Amino acid sequence: MDALFLPDGEWQRLPAVAVIAHRVNSLLLNLVFWTAAAFGTWLLTRESSWTAMATWAVAGLGVVWTLWRVIRAGRWVRSFGFREGERDLLITQGLWTKSLTAIPYGRMLSVEVTALPTTRIWGLAGVELITASSGSNAHIPSLTAPEAARLRDQLILLGEAQALPT
Amino acid sequence: MTDPATPPANAAEPDPKRSERPHPLTPLIRGWVVLLALLIGFGREVLSWFTDNREPPPLLLLLGILGGVVVAAIAVGLLSWLTTQFVIDSEELRIETGILARKSQRIAFDKVTSIDVLQPLAARVFVLAELQIDIGSADRVKLRYLSRARAYALRDYLLSRAHGHRAEITETGAPALQLTDLSKADQVVVRLTPRRLVIGAITSNEFVGLLLTMIVTITLVAIFSSYLGGTLALIALAISAVSGIGGFIGRRITGQFNFTLSTRPAGLRISRGLTSLTSQSLPPRRIQLVRLSQSFLWRRLGWYRVEIDVLGVGLRNDEDTRSAISSVLLPVADAQQLRTVLTLLWPESDYASIELHPAPFRTRWLHPTSGPFLAFGYDQQLVVSRHGWLERRWDLVPHARVQSVRIWQGPFSRRLSLANLAFHTAGNHLSARALGLDADQISSRQAELIELAQAHRPDITSARSAVPDNATQAGPEALRADQAEATISSIE
Repeated sequence: MDALFLPDGEWQRLPAVAVIAHRVNSLLLNLVFWTAAAFGTWLLTRESSWTAMATWAVAGLGVVWTLWRVIRAGRWVRSFGFREGERDLLITQGLWTKSLTAIPYGRMLSVEVTALPTTRIWGLAGVELITASSGSNAHIPSLTAPEAARLRDQLILLGEAQALPT
Repeated sequence: MTDPATPPANAAEPDPKRSERPHPLTPLIRGWVVLLALLIGFGREVLSWFTDNREPPPLLLLLGILGGVVVAAIAVGLLSWLTTQFVIDSEELRIETGILARKSQRIAFDKVTSIDVLQPLAARVFVLAELQIDIGSADRVKLRYLSRARAYALRDYLLSRAHGHRAEITETGAPALQLTDLSKADQVVVRLTPRRLVIGAITSNEFVGLLLTMIVTITLVAIFSSYLGGTLALIALAISAVSGIGGFIGRRITGQFNFTLSTRPAGLRISRGLTSLTSQSLPPRRIQLVRLSQSFLWRRLGWYRVEIDVLGVGLRNDEDTRSAISSVLLPVADAQQLRTVLTLLWPESDYASIELHPAPFRTRWLHPTSGPFLAFGYDQQLVVSRHGWLERRWDLVPHARVQSVRIWQGPFSRRLSLANLAFHTAGNHLSARALGLDADQISSRQAELIELAQAHRPDITSARSAVPDNATQAGPEALRADQAEATISSIE
């Protein structure tokens, strides 16, 4: 990866199980969507002579797209990294459009750990830093639950240390 | 039962448990509003009958419907007036409403986030005003209509209670005709003349765009008029064009008439409007971002429009809205006025002295129109990003307001070894970005910007602030609150 989006330092990656989790989630989501799309196409065109062709075309497109998304999901997770810097949390992500977000600890209002049903079965949880801005989007999607708890406590500690002087 | 229009002598110390009603003229005014809406709606219909050559229904029937609706509206208004009562005293703020379902709402004084006094035309004629209390929930508490003096007195009282002060309701007689809403503590900083407003409206990009579209349409129709229904279509089009242009200027003038920016102990204050007077106050601490923009024709005149993004207020961006809260700090200002106002906001910074670094030449491959104007720079207080093509824009963000900084780069930027910066603030209407920066330098820039954002320097509006702002002297608590969502009162 580009040095611009991965400056020197100790970068932490998402756990290996997150790759599988994101791939499976992406697969299921796409399967549901494309099954519905193919069924819908069949429903709309069943009166005409080319209904089989249209349905198969949509299904084929769905298979290609799903494969693509599943591959990308894994690569996206691998591209994701974060670093607990001295003054700020750095988050790097993205494949085509890469981004590197820096959030100073002093701007942190709270830290949220969320475990959705879809991530909990993998033993994963997401950590989100809440700042006063909605644009910050400082969200680390899939960490193992103990690691998420550790990061939360660590961030709170750092945030308190670097908050405005009392 | 007191009549607020003619308050008794002891109005300054109201009996603790006495409830008030809105002004008795309220049902009439509401009926009038309904009548106006109906007339406008009917007017359109009537016009369409004439143009479509349809048989109009009997006049008597129309008048009957009209009268019936208005009487019904007045009756409903009367009922709701009879059932609406409110108590505002030293202990509580309680409002009781509802015809069938009674609703009693008690509001904690410190939950009041902002208070607006609105004066629609119909109410204005009778020296009445509407009081809107924002408590941060989706719908605002409305008290309509009160006598204007009473509305202002209650607003001042509630505002000082919201700030945690003990206060008393004091009524001062409001002058009969009020074009500005200024009290003695206010110092006028900028007042825009009608001439400036008109010239500003005519030379703005919106107006020029409107004009050009109309000219092009009319020319096209004139060329092909033989196919499109001849001269009649042309005349109809011309009429609608003229009325559109007239309407545009009219809206700007009525909305921004007598635009006055003044300072008062609680911050800045804007008062504007011809048909309905809107006043709004802005604590400088809540301003997250300032955007200067300059329409194409304003470059020669040296004029700017100043917009702001404020923490936690539902701002509207249209200049025209007459009775809504707007994000426009100055609709048309010359360089001198701009400098004065920015110094008031941020006394410790000077945006003009910040050295701007133009984007590298290869940026023009990605941004062919705005490329030559793109530039970015910062000093110890402010970040400045310059962009735009026909309308040039400068985004000014104080480091003290930056919540996070993001570098991002798409596939094309990567090829050209360019990257972009985004600054996230607590405002959510305008966003500050610097596009097309050299990728080699950007990393160190981000680190430096974060350092500046994180530095525990005093707030940019504080210390030697020209606008005395009591909250700033409150210390770290206030500074922290500034980053959080909840601070008190921004609009009056």
